[in-house]
Amino acid sequence: MPQRTVRFTIRPDGRVEELVEGVSGEACQQLTERLEAALGTVERRESTAEAFHQPEVQSQSLPNHLH
Amino acid sequence: MSHFSTVKTELRQLDPLVQALNDLGYSPDQGERPVRGYRGQTVTADLAVSMDNGGDFGFRWNEKTGAYELVTDLDLWKQAIPIERFLSKLTQRYALNTVLKASVTEGFQVAEQQVKQDGSIELVVTRWDV
Repeated sequence: MPQRTVRFTIRPDGRVEELVEGVSGEACQQLTERLEAALGTVERRESTAEAFHQPEVQSQSLPNHLH
Repeated sequence: MSHFSTVKTELRQLDPLVQALNDLGYSPDQGERPVRGYRGQTVTADLAVSMDNGGDFGFRWNEKTGAYELVTDLDLWKQAIPIERFLSKLTQRYALNTVLKASVTEGFQVAEQQVKQDGSIELVVTRWDV
């Protein structure tokens, strides 16, 4: 039985940020749709995979002894 | 796939608007109401908060935008905070009430609610799916 989690940040100016964690599931989609109907226009939507994509770190090590 | 959305809140529904006004300590009158301004001139609103010495404010439904708009005589604004801040506070309250109500309707439970240092309200809701 999976747990669905939605995290909201309601800014002081009333802007709402919604983050659906993990696999969204039908319930989360219904909640999102209901909110968007009641609240207003969606300004931005992005997938969290992209939103939280860490910059890739490239490292390279040189052998201590170059011959 | 999980997703992240940002919604610009508009005052689209009457009930959460009335509730938000109540939360801020106002008792609005519903139905077509006059909002008094300078020298007793009035405009009609769908929701009005009358102040003792005039300088009422109200909300009027705008068909075009599909949202309620604040109507008031700015020269007679008598609230403790400037009108922009008042509208922000009201909109945040409206958004919170709407999010809470929609979450409960969809079977979610509030797991966490806190006010952050910058004045944002953080709310976490969860639901177990069968």
